[in-house]
Amino acid sequence: MKPFEVFSSRFGCKVAFNQEFILEKGQRYYLLNPGLKRMLQGDFYYAGLYLGKVGKNGVFFPSFNLLNMLVDVAANKIVVDRKTAWLFICERDVFRTGIVKVMGSKRKGDAALVLNEFGECLGFGTIMDGLNESKGKVAVKDVLDVGDFLRREARGKF
Amino acid sequence: MSGKQFFIDRYTELAWKFKETQLRQSIRINQTNAKGKNLPERLRSLGVEIEKVPFLSKGYWVAKSKVSAGATAEYLLGMYSIQEAAAQIPVTLFTALRGKTVLDACASPGGKTVQLADLMENSGTLIALDVSRQRLAVMANHLERCHISSTIVYNLDARQASKLNRTFDRVLLDVPCSGNFASDKEWFSRRTFADIEQNSKVQREILAEAAKCLVADGEIVYSTCSLEPEEDELNMDWAIKNLGLTIQKVDCIGVNGSTEVFGRKLDLQVANCKRIWPGETQGFFVCKLKKVGFQ
Repeated sequence: MKPFEVFSSRFGCKVAFNQEFILEKGQRYYLLNPGLKRMLQGDFYYAGLYLGKVGKNGVFFPSFNLLNMLVDVAANKIVVDRKTAWLFICERDVFRTGIVKVMGSKRKGDAALVLNEFGECLGFGTIMDGLNESKGKVAVKDVLDVGDFLRREARGKF
Repeated sequence: MSGKQFFIDRYTELAWKFKETQLRQSIRINQTNAKGKNLPERLRSLGVEIEKVPFLSKGYWVAKSKVSAGATAEYLLGMYSIQEAAAQIPVTLFTALRGKTVLDACASPGGKTVQLADLMENSGTLIALDVSRQRLAVMANHLERCHISSTIVYNLDARQASKLNRTFDRVLLDVPCSGNFASDKEWFSRRTFADIEQNSKVQREILAEAAKCLVADGEIVYSTCSLEPEEDELNMDWAIKNLGLTIQKVDCIGVNGSTEVFGRKLDLQVANCKRIWPGETQGFFVCKLKKVGFQ
């Protein structure tokens, strides 16, 4: 299984891509369409839909394209209220009080997508003790959120 | 040959009276990502008041904002891009982008690449080039944020585009240029006529390479944010005379390109170009070239 398929399974779902259209370059993975595949040549920098990369620590770092693809199929999702959504994209963890709906696993250590009130994916996190307790503890720890686009710009690193 | 008065005198000769400008922030809605989302209302609820830009179909001025328009969830989810109003014009001048093979030859930082992909509705193939690997990283960030799936990006100088051994139906040449004072407060003290001549030379090399890669009846949209005729009308006159390209009429704001520049008479087709003097927008120059007939 490719790293992005292993990653997807953490959300309680199974995704399978046609390997013919998956491209790996420097530990980064891209999903092409047939037209792009025909056009692709030589040493490209970026192609098609970026799925994510394997970092220096060997951990897969998903793209937001991949997370978006998981929204419809992932079992583990939480929907958060407006204020919590804003805090989450500012890299803050999610507390139980900010969660409007929980779908799928509540087991500590599992991954869950974090969705806003419109069902749009803001990122993902790791389920913590707080999801099963009333309040005061972190319910979902922020692992990656869309605010990362701004942080990458600030760091000058992508 | 430099300094504020030197350039202001040139603008006067081109029939424009210099005035200082204050640019307004503008955004462009990415129709593919914002479809059915009622984005103007969502932004309003965040305290971002937007007003339609009358000459753009997807462009809005940011009239008032309690938050940074470049830091909302809607922005981060790719529903809109921050893009200067005049800079939104070039891509809209192409006819029928859907399903086409398109080259964005000087693509970074990627604002127009995303706009092209959006108008292509992620169909066809969009090849984006840029000579700077560092700038490509910024573009990759934009492409991911806006969920663009139809693009291949190469770290390649536009002057070597024919190395791809491909022909293109549409080519966007938003060429590197000298810029203008409206978007750079230090512009007058930093720019000399020698810079402009150097940029003009590079722009002609890019134009010549693009013409080689264009299919018969294909379109090139050429744009600069330079107000200097050497990078604008004079280059277009050169392209007509040396590359077998014709200049098409375009429907956008701006005054017609000058057909007499500093005493030189240019091909009358140059009047089909549009020169946008700074005012509500930054300064800009756009035109659409076509390769007519079979090669």
